[in-house]
Amino acid sequence: MLFLDELPEFNQNALESLRVPLEDRKVSISRLNTTVTYPSEFMLIASMNPCPCGYYGSQEKRCSCKSEQIKKYVNRISGPLLDRIDIHIEVNQVKYSQLERKEKTETSQEVKNRVNQARKIQLERYQEYRIFSNSELNPKLMESFCKLNSKSKKILEIAFDKLGLSARAYNRILKVARTIADLDACAKIQENHVAEAIQYRSLDRKYWNNR
Amino acid sequence: MLAITKSMALQGLEGYLVAIQVDISNGMPDFQIVGLPDVSVKESRERVKTAIRNSNIEFLSRRIVVNLSPANTKKEGSMFDLAIAVGILIADRNIKNSNLEKILEETIFIGELSLNGNIEKTKGILPICIEAKKLGIKRIILPKQNAKEASILKGIDILPVNTLKEVISYLNGKKKILKQENTDVNLNHDVEYEFDFSEVKGQQSVKRALEVAAAGGHNCLLIRFSRFRKNYVSKESTNYFARYEIRRSIGNYKNLQYTWINRTRKTTYYQKTFSKSTSYYYTSIFSGRRKNSKATERLV
Repeated sequence: MLFLDELPEFNQNALESLRVPLEDRKVSISRLNTTVTYPSEFMLIASMNPCPCGYYGSQEKRCSCKSEQIKKYVNRISGPLLDRIDIHIEVNQVKYSQLERKEKTETSQEVKNRVNQARKIQLERYQEYRIFSNSELNPKLMESFCKLNSKSKKILEIAFDKLGLSARAYNRILKVARTIADLDACAKIQENHVAEAIQYRSLDRKYWNNR
Repeated sequence: MLAITKSMALQGLEGYLVAIQVDISNGMPDFQIVGLPDVSVKESRERVKTAIRNSNIEFLSRRIVVNLSPANTKKEGSMFDLAIAVGILIADRNIKNSNLEKILEETIFIGELSLNGNIEKTKGILPICIEAKKLGIKRIILPKQNAKEASILKGIDILPVNTLKEVISYLNGKKKILKQENTDVNLNHDVEYEFDFSEVKGQQSVKRALEVAAAGGHNCLLIRFSRFRKNYVSKESTNYFARYEIRRSIGNYKNLQYTWINRTRKTTYYQKTFSKSTSYYYTSIFSGRRKNSKATERLV
């Protein structure tokens, strides 16, 4: 797992060179007379501010950046790189009432058990195909494993028109929906799974669409 | 006489077979290693010579040529030492065994020699063993310290050794080397987490997204608003909070230093008029605008 904090602050070249390893899951290094290929199967988790001041899009405080500044900051993450990230999520501020609340929330162990269960389902399903998780699905396999029912197709269609999603985003949504269904231990993808997956894909329009 | 032993090297994360051809002939005493060796391989000349001598074997100075085949790929590392030493001993007719050829055909030697004849651990044993198994090699003789790493692999004999002497007596058919038992890797051991999800207040949607990401191996981007980190972990999780506090105190320290430098250069108007502690504070904040005295006065 690779965690990159403050993603736009990284050297642009370094970020762009992540594209191939993210797609091919291996990295090739060419030297004078040899080419060496290393496996690089990793999960990328990145975090960033939406703008230099850090409040663009926030509901609590106003952003003090100029629009060009925001554009420049956000565009350090290129479209192709963004496309390769399946899940986008906004982290909001915690309200004081939430901080004071004493109720018990899930421990890491409980979450881990669920995750392991979902992973086990995937491992069994993809036994013959030499892949280990939903994120590695290729379009051909997706056809057979990510079938949608008519209702969820309808939802996806509406989302497609309203959000102007790309073909790549479509594939990502299906993969994430498959994972959510696995977490629920459902053999087939249901409407709520698709809806949740679409939600994880709607942020790039909010922040990146104003280029 | 010519002797050929087998060893393996790494290219990236893939092992490949290296045949080590040793020839000893009459002539001027010499020891050459050819086949694109780098410095660490070339230096093995001294290690091998001394290790053989310190294993109580007479080592006559003769003309020795060692070729590392394939000769057109660069070789690095010290893992060829053992194979070179064994090759020299065979070429020097120090090892006698009717089955020798068959044994050499089925065996791979890996290990770095120290001057007293001990065999030291080397890097990258597991990929080498995997490749050796693919090539149909029957056994690998390797340093004892590496045996545990190699024992994950099934279907190939792992023979761990400590000294060159053990290898010699094994090849002479005098003594057997105990096989390393297979061990399984246990990936499911429970880890105690420094931080626990239950300590994070609120942020249900983020937790859920990270759970989905973990379950499917998806990449994930968190877009967070400022000050998130401060609120992220609740009061109880001291570790994260402590780090935040440290960062803040470092910031204060820098400001103090800055004012101190300013003071030594020139005592300004407001530093004179205000008490020491407040002047520290204001100089640190307004130091950028000192020349514009009207503005500073107003601000003060």
